Amino acid sequence: MTVEPLTEDQSDALQELANIAMGRAGKSLSTLLDSFVILSVPRVTVVDVGDVADTVARMANAPEIGTAVRQAFFPTVRGEAITIFGPEGCREIADLMGHEGELGDSQEQELLLDTANILVGAVLNGLGEQMETEFKYTPPSILAVRTPLQQLLNAENLDWTCALLIEVNFSLDERGFTCHMLTLMPENSLDYIRRTLDEMLEDL
Amino acid sequence: MTVSVLVADDSKFARRQLLRTLPEGWDADVRHAKDGQEALDGFRERQPDLLFLDLTMPDVDGFQVLETLSQEFEHYNVIVISADVQPKAVERATELGALAFIKKPVDGEELTNVLGQHGFL
Repeated sequence: MTVEPLTEDQSDALQELANIAMGRAGKSLSTLLDSFVILSVPRVTVVDVGDVADTVARMANAPEIGTAVRQAFFPTVRGEAITIFGPEGCREIADLMGHEGELGDSQEQELLLDTANILVGAVLNGLGEQMETEFKYTPPSILAVRTPLQQLLNAENLDWTCALLIEVNFSLDERGFTCHMLTLMPENSLDYIRRTLDEMLEDL
Repeated sequence: MTVSVLVADDSKFARRQLLRTLPEGWDADVRHAKDGQEALDGFRERQPDLLFLDLTMPDVDGFQVLETLSQEFEHYNVIVISADVQPKAVERATELGALAFIKKPVDGEELTNVLGQHGFL
């Protein structure tokens, strides 16, 4: 099936909505870690599900995953939010939050789950507010630890044909910390988004 | 007197949203820059009275624009319009000489107040 891409205007508008949502998440992260968070321009694209892994690998520019956290969202617009931390992600967060000494595996995972939950909530609530839809979430769960991206985003795990992919990323000044947050939404949620974007564009 | 204005944002949607929020009847000659490099080129060429500057842009970001302006010009009037609302982002922009910082999405009343405060109305 050929996927209908977003128009240039739709994609530009959605990118700006994502930018505003990312800004709020960046502020939450910056408060949590008491550090300046470097934000980069969000990316928005409609992809065939078979190409999701390659597209994400290209965007994230980091095939190596430390830990990936998954959270599903619904109901009007539904999809999956995947937060990918670099291999040093947990250690960096623990340091900044003042945890001393070695953390056990379960403590590490707890820390990453909490951080992902904060980021996903801030990004999606920011998007939802602007698009006038509310999200509900499943609790975050660990999707993978030290798994190659290709395996993580295996198309067979998703029962969709195409997806809207929004990628935002956060990194910290003077540290190796990076975190990518991806949201994937199936084609039927895309219809709602297209309509909302068109209305916003008409209002300009 | 007409105020010359440069609006720098990588999003056309954001630039149009800002234009829609400008005070009604404000006498301004507005030009656009779609990234940091165009903002710098446009500033050097026309030295506008006012630059509305986004921070999160590809390649040359808003902080780099401010830094370059501070090296090249003695006076530059910049109002940052940004979604990056971390207190440290505001602090950095202010240190680099920005007059004011307005968060996105822009509130018309806030924008009008800031323009008035700095004598642009």
